[in-house]
This record gives sequence, structure tokens and C-alpha cells, in this order.
Amino acid sequence: MGGKASVDLRQHPGCTWYENGQSALSGSLLELFRRFDRLFVEWAKESGAGEYSFPVFIPAHELAKLDYFGSFPHLVTFPVTLDPEPANLESFARSFAGPGAPLGPGGAIRLTRPAAIRDVLTPAACYHFYIRFQGETLEAPRVVTTLATCFRREAHYTPLERQWSFSMREIVCIGSEGEVKQFLAKYRESLDAFFRRIGLPIAWANATDPFFNPSRNPKSIMQRIEPVKTEMVFGGRLAVGSINFHQNYFGEVFGLRRAGKAAYSGCVAFGLERWISAFLTHFGWEQSDWPDIEMT
Amino acid sequence: MSREAEIRQALREWVVKTSGKIEPQELDDETPIIERRIISSVHVLDLILMIEHLSDTPIDVGKLKVGVFRNINTIYRNFFAESPDGR
Repeated sequence: MGGKASVDLRQHPGCTWYENGQSALSGSLLELFRRFDRLFVEWAKESGAGEYSFPVFIPAHELAKLDYFGSFPHLVTFPVTLDPEPANLESFARSFAGPGAPLGPGGAIRLTRPAAIRDVLTPAACYHFYIRFQGETLEAPRVVTTLATCFRREAHYTPLERQWSFSMREIVCIGSEGEVKQFLAKYRESLDAFFRRIGLPIAWANATDPFFNPSRNPKSIMQRIEPVKTEMVFGGRLAVGSINFHQNYFGEVFGLRRAGKAAYSGCVAFGLERWISAFLTHFGWEQSDWPDIEMT
Repeated sequence: MSREAEIRQALREWVVKTSGKIEPQELDDETPIIERRIISSVHVLDLILMIEHLSDTPIDVGKLKVGVFRNINTIYRNFFAESPDGR
């Protein structure tokens, strides 16, 4: 069995690392990715979750309702296109004619005039649900799940642990305060039992979202004094997932109602690549050393 | 009215007025004002200023501990009682 020291996953044949903060998986690592995700979907279905698949872009005007741009300007990634005005496109195309296309320093493209940007690359999987269900009055608690490729710009990247694009599976409950708290408590208990069963050392720790200028951000101050995020931390350093209680924040912003009040919501989030990293770091690279993760 | 009663009443009145989401009779000293988002992040800096004003003591935001603003009782205990445990 492998030790618990951090391992360089760039050396693993199932992981191709790109210096722009992305990874490609194949072989045993891709199979492990799929096994974890199947497990998370099974857990979601135990709560009767409906499965959803969402596009990669989120309209900027929806995220603006959450003050996303003021809270996380350092993380946001935008899809950029060129202004379709013909002369603008011609000018751009001309600059690429011939050999030695004029890329700028570090391979940066020299854009001509960009078109207006109205979308954002998904920063967190669960936002899609509040936008999708906005304005609804729920007759019963709603549990849903999705797997999303998420994008967060960071100063530094580490294979499978801190990436520009990564995979997040979320199980979300929207309901009354009591229904959401019960949902989150149930998953906390199940996860504890799972980590014990497979022998993965995970500690729970209160955390805050990665706000810009946290010491001056009222939302960050609020999360610090009234924690709503509890992370599953491996090896004292790597959060492989989190349990989040949003109170009725999304319910108020997106007009979701339950039992005559703004709906409450909460989610359980899993970072797939980080699960692989923690798993390989703890159990080693040999498949024969890996515990059976499927529920028995 | 004792000083403690005055402070608690001032805090309750501030919460009701600032929130706009709750009637005075719905708020007691154990009502979870943060968890139920009666007071949300947009109000938290004003709440700090209000407590500083009432207690005549500056608050170091970086040293605030978990749960100090949970309800009127925790605010009183942490910022006005003789043995504060939250700062």
C-alpha cells in the first residue's frame, strides 16, 4: 500500500497533465473516476434525486443576482468570441495568415474587437438548479443531482488537486429549513460511515467560500462567524468535498418557495479529481491495493 | 429598566427595523437571526457598528468567533456581559 505523502500524479500513466491547469484521464484513473461518480449517483438516488445535465455556460445576468462578480472576480472564466462585424473578423483572420502566426508572449492570442460577453463558464454545479427552478413553489422537497465541469481561475495549479477546469458532482436539496437540515445530516452520517468502511482518513472542517478580499467581504465575515460550509479534508490539506447549508439565500434570490416561505437549500459536493488524488495518495497506484468502494 | 434590559431591547428593535422580515413579537432572544437570514451579510457591518456604538468598544472583525451573532443572547453575552467569550 502506498504512503500518505503527496504523490506526483504527472507520473501516473492514466493522467495527462496540461500546464494550463487541466488534466486528461485514461485507463485505471478514468475507471476510478467513473466508479466514484456511479457511487455518488447511487447515493443521490437513495434520496430519490432526479438527474440533470446542464450546458457549460451560465448567463451572466443570473450569476449577477448572486453578486458573483463582486465576490469571486479572481475565479471567474468567460467565454470570449469576436465581434462578428466583417471587417473585425477579416482583420483577425489576416493577422493569422501565413506561417509563424502572430501569437503574443506565452502563446496569448492577439484579439481584435471581442463581442459582448453575456455568459460565464460554470463555476459551481448547483447554480444551474436555482436558475432552472426559479419562481417555482415546491409542493414537496426536491432532491436533484448533476455532474458539471467547473471552471475556476487560480494563481497556481496542481494535477488533480487544483485545476482551472475540474469535475464536480453535486446532490442538492431544496425544501423547508427542516427538510434541508435533515438531508444534510443524513449525508454527513453516510459519508462518515463510508470513509470509515474504506479506511480513508477524512476530517471535517468548517470553511468559507474563496471570496475576493475575504477580510473586507461581509459574506466572508458572515460565513466565518456562522459556518455554512463543512469540508471533507484529506491529509489535513485537501478538501475532496463539502456539505453546504445555503439557508434561504438562493430561495430568496431566485423566488423559490416552500411551505409559504422562501425555500431553503443545501448541497453535498464532490470534487472527482480530488477524490482520485486522495485515493491514490492513501492507497497507492496499484489497483489490487484499492478497497472496494461500492456499497455492499 | 436595567442596563441589560435596555441593551437587549435596543438590539431587538435594531434587528426588527433593519431586517424588515420579522414582526417584534416573532423575535425573542433565542431566535437564530443569522441562520434564518433575518440578518444577512448586507447588514453584518451595520450590526458591528451598532454593537460598537452600544458598548462603546471597538470590535476587531478578524477576531470574531463562531456563533457570536447567532441570537440576541449570544450578542449580549459576547459584547456586553462582564465575561465575554467571543472576542
